[in-house]
Order: sequence, then structure tokens, then C-alpha cells
Amino acid sequence: MSLVDIIQIVILGLALGGVYALMASGLTLIFGVMRIVNLAHPIMIITGAYISYWLFRLYGIDPIVSMPIAAIVMFCIGIIVYKLIFKREAASAKYSEMTVLLTVAVALCFDGLLGAMFSNTHRITSPSYATQAFFFGDLYIPKGQLYAGIISLALIGGLVAFLHFTRFGYAIRATTQNRDAAQLMGVNVGRVSIITFGIGIGLAGAAGALVSFVFSFFPAKHWEWIAILMSLVVLGGMGKLAGAVLGALTLAVVAAFVGTYAGATWSTLTFFLALFVILLVRPQGLLGDRLEEM
Amino acid sequence: MAELLEVDNVVAGYGRGPAILNGTTLHVRSGQIQCVIGPNGAGKSTLMKAIAGLLPLRSGEIRLKGERLSGLRPDQILHKGICFVPQERALFPKMTVRENLRMGGFILEDRGTLARRIDTVLEAFPILRERAGQRAGTLSGGQQQMLTMARTLIVEPELVMLDEPSLGLAPQIVEQMYDIVHMLRQRGMTVLLVEQNAVVGLSNADWGSVLDLGQTLFEGPAAEILSDPRIQELYLGKSTEAA
Repeated sequence: MSLVDIIQIVILGLALGGVYALMASGLTLIFGVMRIVNLAHPIMIITGAYISYWLFRLYGIDPIVSMPIAAIVMFCIGIIVYKLIFKREAASAKYSEMTVLLTVAVALCFDGLLGAMFSNTHRITSPSYATQAFFFGDLYIPKGQLYAGIISLALIGGLVAFLHFTRFGYAIRATTQNRDAAQLMGVNVGRVSIITFGIGIGLAGAAGALVSFVFSFFPAKHWEWIAILMSLVVLGGMGKLAGAVLGALTLAVVAAFVGTYAGATWSTLTFFLALFVILLVRPQGLLGDRLEEM
Repeated sequence: MAELLEVDNVVAGYGRGPAILNGTTLHVRSGQIQCVIGPNGAGKSTLMKAIAGLLPLRSGEIRLKGERLSGLRPDQILHKGICFVPQERALFPKMTVRENLRMGGFILEDRGTLARRIDTVLEAFPILRERAGQRAGTLSGGQQQMLTMARTLIVEPELVMLDEPSLGLAPQIVEQMYDIVHMLRQRGMTVLLVEQNAVVGLSNADWGSVLDLGQTLFEGPAAEILSDPRIQELYLGKSTEAA
């Protein structure tokens, strides 16, 4: 393999990695604050993708433009789902374990609903840039992936700034680190939980808008993404935003190499294998703390 | 002096477990340092958690300046003027010392006031000022305790509740902690504290209460309690026969 090939693969991997990072950021935020293992996260991304897809098909709205709409609609759906399902269980000692089952149930419901409404046909939003590329000598970058990657990383940057420089961001971080202490400092942790869940699902919606022109999608696709997202988040350390970004960029690049040299069918295997290896070797992830703190 | 806090016949416990507080009654007067002592399992920490709103009351009532607190969330109780420093150091380990102080003033809406008060606290505690940019989780036990107590200065609550401020600290550090307790009082706050180490707690307090099996057995001026032979025998570990 030549150096140009390697650089090419790294570039493609990084652009996809940015999108993966955004897909995983909401998942890790929700786990960090609420200890909810949200296996319904990928189906929320797909719901967001459908919102952008139909806005493009019906009204010709560019998916990047409709991204805020997808995010806001998904934010509202997140709040409703949280109030209906997760709020009443929050006091349970087995909360995290229960959320695994509850979120699978939510995923099944959305999967069925979307399938019934839109069928299981593969869809992809096709703005003009989705099929174009920038060329630099021997290297190329597909415009769609580049835009999606950059927007994703910018959104994550915005999220980090929000967490570190706003009062509500302080409340979210404090609740993540020490829920009881946050309460004693005057944080209404119930409210923080609801809104953070909404923000997490809103990020899934935003990711969906970008995903809609990067990957083809159909409702049941989320089963594949669950493993991908879990492996990214677990590699970085569950609940760590920086970890999710690191995990996403790393695994996306590795998967790009595997895809190039072993064939595209094997590239997804990278994530499954990584999940096994991480859980066996370093279950707390790259940036995670000791396991008992989780 | 006026009654600041009234705990009236409170019954409370964890989950569906047995009641830990069995009709506890306690009154705290404004401007005092009041120390609650009692053996392990007497319900001292539970009492504080109930006052702070971390534990629902099964019956009875808690009032601050005559206003009922029952049913309020911990954040609402803080707004009413009660700040609770629990036993397990309630810090945010990944936040810096300065960020922890900022969290301490979370309920202050005005950023200017918050910044001023953080500066005042950092001035009063040079060790914390030196380590303002350091993560709280990397501080020593004594420094962490100092930080949790110093943090209460930022909201300037009417009542500060401290659950075993001396726990796990070396004697000279314990002394420093009690300097902070006196500082809180000097700045106009009332202090209610719980101590396993009854001698240290009472000798720094104005008023003492003895709690056992979730009931107040006895209360009076701290000095009197310290010298009461019954109390000495029961809770201070001195046998009257040996004396």
C-alpha cells in the first residue's frame, strides 16, 4: 500500500468518524447524566434521518438546512419518551439494567412504526454535493462526508462549550459527577435529567439529518448501528464525551482500512471485534475511570 | 434568641425499611453552634438528610422560621436557606477547585456577586487559592473537607448543617475545620453539626443535643453536657466507676 493510499483511507475514515462521533455524543451524554444505556439511540438517529429525507423529497429542503428542524423535533420526542417511560423508574436501584430493556422496547416500537409508515426500502437523501468530491492531486474527499464530518465536530465543539461555559452546562456536569451533591448545591436534577435526555435525542436528530445523505438507511438498520455506537462509546469510556470522539475517530479509521483491504463486508466486523476486545482488556475504556465509579 | 429551625416529632427511614427517626424533636436557635451527638446508628446523619430534603418524612414536620419544609426538594430547601454538607465529601471530583466553588454558588443568579464571593473565599483560604485550578478529586482529604465547608460561605445560607466535619481527619486538621465552623458563625450563619467525636463537637458548640434510637434524649448548653456524668459514661466513653 502506498503512502497516498494510506492518507486517502485515513481521510475517509476521519470524515466518517466525525459523523460517528456525533451519533455517539448523545448516547454518551445520556449515559453520563442518567445512567440510561440508550439502545434506542440509533433508531432516534434514523427517525431524524427520515425527517430530513422527507423534507428534502417533499419540499426540497437541504438536509444541512433541515438539521435544526430534525434536532428540535427529536428533542421534543426525547422529552415525551423520557416523561412516559424513564421518569417513573428513576428511583429504582436497578435503573441502568432496566433501561437496557426499556430502550430496546422503545427501539422496537419506533422500528415498527417507521417500517409501517415508510416501508423498509433503502433511502438516501441526495443533495447535489452527496455525489461530488474535492480532488487534491491523487487524493479525493467526498463532499457529503466532509461536510457531515465538519458539521458533526463543530456541533460537538458547541456541546462542549455549552457544558463548560453555561450555568445549565455546569448543572449537567455536576449531575454527572455527583448527583446527590448537585442536588445539595441547588440543582433540580430531575429537570436536568429530562432536558439532558432531550438534548441527547436532539443530537441524535441532528446526526440523523447528516447520516441521511452519507449512508443509505431503512428502519431496521439501527440494529447494526447499536453495535457500532456501543463499541465507540465503550472504547472511549462510557459517559465521556471526549472518549466518544476519540473512539469514533479511531474505529472509523480502522474500519476504513479493514474495508479497503479485506472488503467492505468485513469493515462492520471491526466494531464488533473491538467491542469484545475492549470489554475483555480494558472494560472502562481509554478515558474511563475505575469501573466501580460507573 | 428566636427559633430558627424546628424539627417536630419527625418519623423517617430509608425506603420501606424501619424508621430510623422515631419522633425526633430538635430546635435550633439563631446564631448558635449546635452539636448533635449520639452513638452509631442513633439517626444523626438521617436527621440531617431529612432536614435537607434527601429523605421523605413519614410523619412530623420541619419548619424554618415557621415555614414548613416538608415535601420540598433539596434544591428548594437550599433556596430557603439551609445548606447541608454531607459526610461523604460532596465534591465534583473532575471539576477544579474554582469550578466547585462556582457550583457552590449555583443558586446565585447574579454572576458579579458569585465572582466576588468566590474571590472572598479564596482569600480566606490560601491553600484553596493555590490550588484553584486543580481538580478537586486530587486534593487531600483535609483540603477536600475544607473546600466543602468553604463552599457554604458562597451562598451565605442562614443555617449550615455539617455531618461529621472531623471524620477521618488528623487532629490538627480537625482544629482547622472548627476554625471554619467559628468563621461561619461569625459571618452570621447558624451551624448545626453532628459529631461522632463528642468531645471535639461539644467543646466547639454552644448547645448540645443527645440523640439515640432516633429520639432526642437530652439537651442543654454544650459545656453542661460535656460534664454531665451520665453523658460521659454513655457517649464519651468514660466510665464513672473508673473515674
